[in-house]
Amino acid sequence: MAQFITLRLLHTILILFGVSVVTFGLIHLIPGNPLDILLPPEAPKEVVERLKVEFGFDKPLYLQYFAWLGRVVRGNLGTSVFTGLPVTGELFSALGNTLCLAVPAALVGFSLGTTFGTLAAFNYGRALDKLFSIITILGLSMPHYWLAIVLVIVLAVLWPILPAVGMGSGGGLPTSWEDARFLILPVVTLSMIPMGVIGRMVRSTVLEILSQEFPTALQAKGLRRRRIVWHVLKNAAPPAMAVMGLQLGYLLGGSILVETVFNWPGSGQFMNLAIFRRDIPVLQGTVLVLASFFVLINLAVDVAQALIDPRIRR
Amino acid sequence: MTEISLVDPALVPEVAAGLEPRGYWQGVGERLLRDRVTLAVAAVLAVIILLAVFAPWVATHDPLQGSVLRRLKPVGTPGYFLGTDETGRDIWSRLVYGARLSLICGITPVLFATMIGGALGLIAGISGRFVNMAVMRVVDVFYAFPSVLLAIAICGVIGAGIGNTILSLSVVFTPPIVRITESLTTQVKNRDFVEAARASAAPLLSIIRHQIVPNVLGGMLVYATSLVSISIILSAGLSFLGLGVTPPNPEWGLMLNALRQAIFVNPIVAALPGVAIVITSLCFNLLSDGLRSAMDIKLPA
Amino acid sequence: MIWNIQRAAMVATAALILAMPPVAAKAGGTLRIAMTASDVPTTTGAPDNGFEGLRFLGYPVYEGLLLWDLTRADKPAELRPGLAESWEQDKNDKTKWIFHLRHGVKFHDGSDFNADAVIWNLDRYFKPDAPQVDPTGGAFARARDPWIKSYRKIDDFTVEIGNPRPISYFPNALVYLFFSSPAQFQKAGSWVEFAKQPSGTGPFKITEFKPRVSVTLARNEQYWDKNRIPKLDKVVLFPMPEATTRLAALRSGQVDWIEVPPPDAVPSLKAAGFEIVTNSYPHTWPWVLNFGKPDSPWKDIRVRRALNYCTNREGLVTLLNGLAEPAYGIYHKTDPYFGHPKEQYTYDPDKAKALLKEAGYGPDKPVAAKVMISNSGSGQMLPLPMNEYLQQNLKECNFDISFDVVDWGTMLVATRNPPTAPQAHGVDAMNISLAHATEFSRFTTAFLTSTFAPNGFNWQHWSNPEFEALVSKIENSSDPEEIAADIRRAHEVIVDDAAWLFIVHDRNPRAMTKHVKGFTSAQSWFQDLTRVWME
Repeated sequence: MAQFITLRLLHTILILFGVSVVTFGLIHLIPGNPLDILLPPEAPKEVVERLKVEFGFDKPLYLQYFAWLGRVVRGNLGTSVFTGLPVTGELFSALGNTLCLAVPAALVGFSLGTTFGTLAAFNYGRALDKLFSIITILGLSMPHYWLAIVLVIVLAVLWPILPAVGMGSGGGLPTSWEDARFLILPVVTLSMIPMGVIGRMVRSTVLEILSQEFPTALQAKGLRRRRIVWHVLKNAAPPAMAVMGLQLGYLLGGSILVETVFNWPGSGQFMNLAIFRRDIPVLQGTVLVLASFFVLINLAVDVAQALIDPRIRR
Repeated sequence: MTEISLVDPALVPEVAAGLEPRGYWQGVGERLLRDRVTLAVAAVLAVIILLAVFAPWVATHDPLQGSVLRRLKPVGTPGYFLGTDETGRDIWSRLVYGARLSLICGITPVLFATMIGGALGLIAGISGRFVNMAVMRVVDVFYAFPSVLLAIAICGVIGAGIGNTILSLSVVFTPPIVRITESLTTQVKNRDFVEAARASAAPLLSIIRHQIVPNVLGGMLVYATSLVSISIILSAGLSFLGLGVTPPNPEWGLMLNALRQAIFVNPIVAALPGVAIVITSLCFNLLSDGLRSAMDIKLPA
Repeated sequence: MIWNIQRAAMVATAALILAMPPVAAKAGGTLRIAMTASDVPTTTGAPDNGFEGLRFLGYPVYEGLLLWDLTRADKPAELRPGLAESWEQDKNDKTKWIFHLRHGVKFHDGSDFNADAVIWNLDRYFKPDAPQVDPTGGAFARARDPWIKSYRKIDDFTVEIGNPRPISYFPNALVYLFFSSPAQFQKAGSWVEFAKQPSGTGPFKITEFKPRVSVTLARNEQYWDKNRIPKLDKVVLFPMPEATTRLAALRSGQVDWIEVPPPDAVPSLKAAGFEIVTNSYPHTWPWVLNFGKPDSPWKDIRVRRALNYCTNREGLVTLLNGLAEPAYGIYHKTDPYFGHPKEQYTYDPDKAKALLKEAGYGPDKPVAAKVMISNSGSGQMLPLPMNEYLQQNLKECNFDISFDVVDWGTMLVATRNPPTAPQAHGVDAMNISLAHATEFSRFTTAFLTSTFAPNGFNWQHWSNPEFEALVSKIENSSDPEEIAADIRRAHEVIVDDAAWLFIVHDRNPRAMTKHVKGFTSAQSWFQDLTRVWME
């Protein structure tokens, strides 16, 4: 196991290298340079070109990449072309804001999804199955950002019980009920897709397991219902965890759509702004950090899977 | 003692009657025909697809023709029974023409991703350590990638439009499908009946076809169909960002975005494209549930 | 009993007096504004995010040698003396201008404004080896004011600036150049640090800056213009690029004032008791026609004029719920510089079709054109529905319009390159709306041969010898009456030659709560927040 983890960590470095090269390539495929967007439209090309030299954008691409890589290895993710602020600080601040939404949304989505999926599977064919199935399906059928707009209008404008935008003075951390109110609508919106995806995966997997021989065998052996459910869930865990890991990764990346509607300064908004402004240092740094998170989450899921189900030999 | 209810024997007539089981796929078909909910849903989906195919005949107006004088008319306006949009175009006509693009944006990327991702996941699952590692790590690189960046880059090369949406979403959906398939395959591979098949020296392809695929397909199918609705939603998100289908083409997601400011004038009309998306997604997912039940029931050997 | 009544009366009167606000108090309050910008504009005195950046983090906090007069709503905003009390062109050398600086002005950190500060700031923008050099700010300065060739201090309150050639309208461009405190920069050490504790000369000072979230301005009690010390205690600015989000923020009471409300929400906003404030201002929304493309359909002036006659501007105004007005030129019809062009582009489809027929087009040979439109962008209004409307509108005269939808960044890149370059995607026109008519120096950046892209802002490569001659004459003149007449003539040339498709003027819409008092919407891209207070 320890060998497995070490090997995977080494792979992580390779993957991150691959991701950074592909990102760098892609951002340069897109027409436009950050300075084209930063400077007012009436700036003649000559002024733009002169500023490019200041930032080093006139050098050949591979040199620019290796310069960046050199800085990263020393722990410096660079500074934003637009604000001049260091990428590291801004990125982790944005990630922190997203975590304030991602963690509750993951908790709500995963627990509701698992519950609904399990209940649906155990009541297969009956009304309860249909009910929970429809709830989970609705979760991933509805355009969630659109639902967010509707929720804001209903709950913040027409009957003002919740705030419409922003993080509140607590900076996103629910240190008081007043601050926690800002989290409610975004978390509800963000938890819908995870709830739906996981609900459906769990239902399918549990059904799959229930149709095998061993639950009947366990029942015949006289095991209590609760123990049987526990065994079933243990078997259902690995694929469900794979999906949860993926969903957590997406949540950490921040939903640009939801963050736009709620004006939440999270990593989705941060990255999206960087993409649209072609803020290359920010983009490179952000993708690198987010990619590391995704890869590490997947590694954790793989390890957990192997621990829970010893038949998964890796 | 409370029994854990498994599959309802009433749905398996052969078992109930004590008869010999028929072939697998015939059984699937028969079970489907008996599942009323799935049939109803399949019918609705068929209607939607037919409306899309026969849009020019079913639409009441030119979906691109509007007039400023009849903006945002409510449902039930004579001649425009579902109302008009923000530039005065008939919503019903735009919905049926929009079904074409939305269905394509929903199904095609998932189809591509499932075929490619499923194959890769299977290969990675049944192969030895080295191949598994190689495939999964490459997939990780793509998985870690921000989809918006990908969409914009593709947009920069081939321009905005439906091709951009299909290509970007296919790339976005492939890694998760590979991961899920690989995870399922790895689990199944180590189960007793697969071991038994290997021990009996059955050819690899046969093992894959008869043992692994049926057990993996169920889970994969469910995940993939849940992706169809997400695909429609994400392609709407792409047009929100200006990267997917471009105006004035009717597409449900684009319509939803364009109408979002009209919520204050005519909320019901503004919600109609959303309703279309929800109904279609609901149908896809319920249909896949029905298919999955039909395919997964194990007949006693 | 009488004593009780008397006592009660005294107490009541005393209570009344105590309850009344003190007579000379500054009615204050905190004004919260949601901007359309997607990020907080830079706080160092060279704000980005276009004219919205100048509007909120430019003029309220920093000032130039000239400033805008934003007190009147009945005519376009004009320029007035700012940090320079007066200026004149050197009689012997028309390329030199002398500026007499204002006395008694202090930066927010308490240091003095004087000629040394002016030179220091000009070095910041234009001297590459200065320790305080700000390359980005310098690029902004060069873009908005390309005529500063030399500068020197004459005495503590007099500065001389030199141009490459005589330019009569040169001082106009100085309204975009701001001065930051050298002393504060020395304390901060770098522009990044300065951005966290900025110091300018304006009526407000920046007291808090949270990147991507908000920036807070507070009243500057030591402001040099005692008539314009702000009434407000604080202004908090939020970047909020999504229109429905801004709307929700206003309706739920989280902000008091939003820029650019969605037009469809206007009736419900009014019904809910909010105020919609609009006014004309120099913002034209056009299609800029491509003259550089060899097979451009616009080479024939009849086609260009037909395009203008076929456009139903009133219909577009209805689409926008009155948040725009028809445009018949670059200046407003009521602007003193509009002049009397021969072509009056009213909605006349018959005339348009007749012109096209002359030019050889008709129902079987439509004019095919591709227009580049962006899906967002500062000052672009609502490009998608507006262009879709135009597409249908122009169909009646046999214009077959198709679109190339790009993001704002791609459009900006296209404008900096020639109209035949690959970045232009082969389009025949571009829907890009900028502030051309703010004052005359901006006007010239887009219509001269010398400013053909990539050398300037004439992306379309339009040129006209009469216009060139007029601009040259204006530059060399010093008679204000003559200059005004020539500007009118120059505008007439552009309108008659149909250099653009003139569509609508934006009306600078804002929505605010009834508690915002004292705001007059000036006819300008910029607004004065000093006379506003919160009730």
